[in-house]
Amino acid sequence: MSDKSEKREGEDASASEATKVDPRLLEILVCPLTKSTLEYDSERQELISRSARLAYPIRDGIPIMLPEEARQVD
Amino acid sequence: MSDARGVSGFNFFEHGLDRQAIEAAYSRWAPVYDLVFSHMLGPGRRAVATIASRADGRILDVGVGTGLELPMFRDKARVVGVDLSEPMLQRASARVAREGLKNIAGLARMDASRLAFCDASFACVVAPYLLTVVPDPEETLDELARVVRPGGEIVLVNHVSSSDWPMSALEEFIGESFSVTLGWRPQFPWSIIGDWIDSRTDMRLTERRVLPPFGLFTLTRIERLARWGEHSRRPYDEHRRPFEHA
Repeated sequence: MSDKSEKREGEDASASEATKVDPRLLEILVCPLTKSTLEYDSERQELISRSARLAYPIRDGIPIMLPEEARQVD
Repeated sequence: MSDARGVSGFNFFEHGLDRQAIEAAYSRWAPVYDLVFSHMLGPGRRAVATIASRADGRILDVGVGTGLELPMFRDKARVVGVDLSEPMLQRASARVAREGLKNIAGLARMDASRLAFCDASFACVVAPYLLTVVPDPEETLDELARVVRPGGEIVLVNHVSSSDWPMSALEEFIGESFSVTLGWRPQFPWSIIGDWIDSRTDMRLTERRVLPPFGLFTLTRIERLARWGEHSRRPYDEHRRPFEHA
């Protein structure tokens, strides 16, 4: 299993209903580090914590809420 | 104590139950986990789902794994499942789609000691077979307590070491087999949970019950007191009837 193919799959699938993140889940998610609210980037399938300057990926509709899996943002 | 070396040759106890070890163990087990463990762990899952289904509000399932208990929650429930292992979550997600489960409000990958939820988000937090695999059970219990709302409850199922022979010997034998395969710690004294409850003025033990098969697992219900300043701390009575919701 390569990272690349996984990411491509995730992007293709982002349009389909099954792999979309549930809005009922987004409602209650916060940054695991700062416990502050998150911005949802539906294009990139990311949840951005401005206070921690991290973007948490959503893969196949599953938010990955681990700082070590997150991308640094400005 | 026998050698605690796992199938991979990795010694969980020598290295401690660190996150990588737990993740690696569950990645290995994901494909066959249901087959091997569903029977053994079924009664505990049914028990937590039954109790949680009575909750009026969101339910959090910490350590949801492949989602074996997800179909057991009532249809009208709103269940959120979290797990540290992505392969396990993918299987849970596939189960939700396959069985068309409408009561699942989402799955997310999280560390149980650092949950990504607002305070008091859930009416009930269930943690079946979780506490014996986390590196720091007290820290995890604190985090479960943070996300459960006042008046809500935490429902745990896990192996608790017995002090009575011959159960203790049987438990030790089976417990060790589980420890090796799943990264469980071999001994989990009740005091880990009991002392934690005693340390919290806002928490109260409402039920402690041994489950089949073989009494290997214990179900524990802990209430987060609605207004704990007004509540007198009652000592737990072994002979009291199980706590029921009004």
